[in-house]
Amino acid sequence: MKFNVLKGPFFKSKNSTHRIMLNLFIALLPIILFSFYKNGIVVYQNNKTDIFGMFYPLLFTLTGIVSSFLTETLYTYIFLKKRGTELKKSILNSFSIFPGLFVSLFLPLNTPIEILIFACVVAIIIGKMLYGGFGHNVFNPALIGVLFALTCYGSIINQNGGYINKYELDTIGSATPLTNYKLVEGIGTYDTVVKPFGSLGDFFIGNIPGGPGEVCSFLIILAFIYLVFTKVIKWKIPVIYVGTVFIMTTIIGSINGVGLWYPTFSILSGGLLFGAVFMATDPVTSPTTSVGQIIYALFLGILTVTFRYLTSAPEGVLTSILTMNMFVMILDRIGSSSKPSIKKIALPLLIGLTIMTTMSIHIGNKFKHPNGTDPNFKLIKKTKDYYMVSQKGNGGPIKAKIYIKDNQITKIEILENNETENYFKLVKEAKYTKTLIKNQDNLDNIDTISGATISSTALKKMIIHVKEDMSK
Amino acid sequence: MKRIINGIIGENPILVLLLGLCSALAVTTTFESAYIMGICVLLILTFSNITVSLIKKLVPKNVEIPVYILIISTFVTILEIILKAYIKPLYEVLGIYLPLIVVNCIVLGRAMSVASKSNIRTSIKDAIGIGLGYTFVLMIIALFREVIGNGTLTIMNNISSLTGTKIILKIELSTNLFPINILTKPAGAFLTLGFLIALFNYIKGGKKHESN
Repeated sequence: MKFNVLKGPFFKSKNSTHRIMLNLFIALLPIILFSFYKNGIVVYQNNKTDIFGMFYPLLFTLTGIVSSFLTETLYTYIFLKKRGTELKKSILNSFSIFPGLFVSLFLPLNTPIEILIFACVVAIIIGKMLYGGFGHNVFNPALIGVLFALTCYGSIINQNGGYINKYELDTIGSATPLTNYKLVEGIGTYDTVVKPFGSLGDFFIGNIPGGPGEVCSFLIILAFIYLVFTKVIKWKIPVIYVGTVFIMTTIIGSINGVGLWYPTFSILSGGLLFGAVFMATDPVTSPTTSVGQIIYALFLGILTVTFRYLTSAPEGVLTSILTMNMFVMILDRIGSSSKPSIKKIALPLLIGLTIMTTMSIHIGNKFKHPNGTDPNFKLIKKTKDYYMVSQKGNGGPIKAKIYIKDNQITKIEILENNETENYFKLVKEAKYTKTLIKNQDNLDNIDTISGATISSTALKKMIIHVKEDMSK
Repeated sequence: MKRIINGIIGENPILVLLLGLCSALAVTTTFESAYIMGICVLLILTFSNITVSLIKKLVPKNVEIPVYILIISTFVTILEIILKAYIKPLYEVLGIYLPLIVVNCIVLGRAMSVASKSNIRTSIKDAIGIGLGYTFVLMIIALFREVIGNGTLTIMNNISSLTGTKIILKIELSTNLFPINILTKPAGAFLTLGFLIALFNYIKGGKKHESN
């Protein structure tokens, strides 16, 4: 007796998997073209790059597609030993271009090309083929590749320019909305959070720095409508995911007394919409039952907000989707019982909603502070000759001893820090403390160090606060 | 000799029995701490196996585990005190994983399954085989993780107070892809171990069960 085990997802519809993937590609096409327009044509028109640079965004995406396709073909040929028609059949049925395509839409355009290729190789081999190929993978392969590239080579990508294209470098500066957001005090104001990038309209049409695929909210929403209409994805996951984030940030915002622009900003910035529409709905790694989908999406929202506010990373979409991927099987079990009893569904939902409210109230209160003081700054000791202060940096407080003489700072001694070594090395190499001492009366004009923005800004703010205290 | 080779290949504690993984994953960030850890386990395994096989007839079956744990922890404590006295930096690097040898399943497992049933000669041979198997695997994992993950190879650093020289090799390649620093993190440890087990089974070429 031989049992033939097939893995999900099983769809009861006329949609064949090929049809689904074709529709997915059609939905992604405008997003790819928009990235070409924004990072290629606009930059070229402003004479910031040559003709090669203009087509670079398209080449970038193409490289991702080709490398992931080649990786999978080679893997099937060498390790699975498939030849001829068998090889052709297995390649046609496994849609190996999509992980690479998504990796290239997620990673910053300034990623060195070899890192992109390597990320695609990791995505296909570790994220997909080792689990047994298409339909068997537990985690989203594309996200595995992206996370791998960002954790391993994050500092190299940042030094190379990060998310900013050459035109934006002149007009906007060196931060994406979310990295900028990490630096504002408390939860920020409209002027510090949205204004540097234009208005919320710019966020909507994608006129902000960010990953190639994730900036244009308008096109992503269009793609969402198209995909729901052609029954490629179910509407539940994206809507509940984004809705949870919206409600939580509304609570956080209202505790701190800011308007509805704040939750709107939270939704439109970063990879939230892109992740919710394309990544969280991946048919292989998301729940197939509707109860499972609701709980899955609810927890995705909670995790994303938690990661964004309570960790040092600016973005939490990637990690939260990968985390929730682990629970898909359990969630489907809750949802797939023949008569889903209310008891079974109510408990996880109740837990989710409780966590959601308490978490948002907690975060809201955490960021609340009396106007005019920086909660990240702490004055530990103050004597005639020196200040002992600490300022929150990327990995925790940076503690420093600042020597003064005649109302002037003479020496900055960093006592303790918990920053990422690679980033903090950049600060040290640039002799940033010396620059700060030299320009201590003109601190606003000092640039931060690209690649170590958070650490250098923390140091700069520390000196600003000390100067303020001295002038009192 | 057969017994020793069996410990290294046939019953390799990490690659085949999958025992003692916690320390194998945690201390393999540098080559040096890996082989020192291996030697520590080898020593403790040998001594505890000898003791257990000597007293095997005195120990009633139902208090086996407490007695063996007591024996093992005695040796671990002795080793810990010696390391603390003579190679302090290494003691600090190994940290909690040194006292944790007490609950390392390899040591207790060998005491129960081999030493309590056989004579001293077999016990010693078994301990050496298993200990060497553990040490070799730790060295391979650490070699891979440190060279590719960090671009260095530490042969003598923390034990330099004993040997008098420091040997740290540096490897530099002019590509963005090197070093792959995720390998020095816990995730990299799991990946390395997984690939190593796969490679080991591939080379060993054990019987595969046919399936579709």
